[in-house]
Amino acid sequence: MTTITVTPNPFTLVPYDVEEITALLEEAAALAGISSGVDISLTVDEELFAPLTGHMSDVVDGRVVLWISGGNFEDNKRPCHFSADQARVDLSVMMLRAKDRLSDDFAAAPPDAQLSRGERAAWDTYAVGRAGRLGLDMRRPRQLYDFRLQHGFTDVADAAFERCWEAEHVTWEGIREICKETGAADRGPSKVPVDLLRQK
Amino acid sequence: MKKMLPESELARDERFVRTNIEDRLFDPRGPKVAQRNTGPARMGVDRPAAGERSRSLMHGIFVGEIQALEGAGRTCYDFDDETAPFQLKLDMARQCWDESRHCEISVKLGDHMGAEIGEYTESTFLFAAACNPDPVLRLCGVNRALEGLAIDVFNSMKDFGNESGDPVLEFCEDWMLADEVTHVKMGSDWLRRLTATDPERRERALEFQRTVDAIFNLGGFRGEDDENPIQLARNFRRLAGFTDDENDSLAALARESTVQAREMAEAASAALHASAQGS
Repeated sequence: MTTITVTPNPFTLVPYDVEEITALLEEAAALAGISSGVDISLTVDEELFAPLTGHMSDVVDGRVVLWISGGNFEDNKRPCHFSADQARVDLSVMMLRAKDRLSDDFAAAPPDAQLSRGERAAWDTYAVGRAGRLGLDMRRPRQLYDFRLQHGFTDVADAAFERCWEAEHVTWEGIREICKETGAADRGPSKVPVDLLRQK
Repeated sequence: MKKMLPESELARDERFVRTNIEDRLFDPRGPKVAQRNTGPARMGVDRPAAGERSRSLMHGIFVGEIQALEGAGRTCYDFDDETAPFQLKLDMARQCWDESRHCEISVKLGDHMGAEIGEYTESTFLFAAACNPDPVLRLCGVNRALEGLAIDVFNSMKDFGNESGDPVLEFCEDWMLADEVTHVKMGSDWLRRLTATDPERRERALEFQRTVDAIFNLGGFRGEDDENPIQLARNFRRLAGFTDDENDSLAALARESTVQAREMAEAASAALHASAQGS
């Protein structure tokens, strides 16, 4: 039996519905193939709005611990309004990454707050590509641009993107290899903490 | 054909959704976010949500280009040749051609970044500045204030393209920037020529320009610090004919707006806190 917790409950700044988000999270967990019995907790930062977006997927003591900006759920065309389509996409990507973390393949991966931006971009691409093949409406050019921002606007980076996007199986070591190949691994640490939006 | 078209009658297809600036100003999340460190507002690959923020800004530039095209087009049509000389209209016609090209380039840059037309809302207060019934005030509002802002925006985007190693963005922004310098010069030239014997009208036009400048400094959008997403491009402004005094005074106005925005956020946050304590 899986327990799903959504925080805050209720939302006070935006008219988001906890039951609706819980149902979408259940759907995303099923799509990603998360085993039943794995507890999931999701924190939505309702103070943040688009375009201040971001999300994190960690596994702590066997539990999936998720954080997301409220901006990720916001309908770009109607500020403050919830977009179920957008939420479905982002929750699925988060759950696919959580599924990775539950496997041995990503056992050595540090928590999301300690990933470099290059590592994160490569891992996201791997997850977004899979989400697309699972039937979700993913936008390749968008992901390509985000990948290029961290890996460079080069043919080497584009080839690496292609591999991440098409891959059915990548390991944490594989992600690190990609960062070495594109040169993202040689970049100094980010001047701005990668989990800055999460810090209050 | 109708003259002096209000912003509510601008033609858009079903992809575009219009928003009011009030929607954002009265969003209860605004004061909360203003109290938080969300990283440097200045564009950079290290700042949070860099891709999404760039796409959103690119879309804002795209709809701004559409409105600049509409504004220059209206100036060709709204006035008779006595109120606005034919040569002025020729300049505006040339500007229409530039703005059309900028619209096309912005669409392609949006594609390059992964944005779609109409993905974000459109605010039409740029066009509102192009509705002034006096052509001199209109030129000051549009060609000096807004096209001056465009210099700052394109220069910031060009720097971002350079920093992120994106040759497409850097190249496109550089070319558009060159056009904006010309547009500002047109505004400055016509301001001088049309008000050569009417200093009062010139002062009214410059005052209108300051009002438009102040609107676009709103919330610290433009300035010279990391907390301003758009950086004041002093060198390019100088090339466009703005004096150092004008640049200094705009910088001071921008700093004032940033401080005001911070104070407003603090006051709103305190009010929210007090109301939460009372409830």
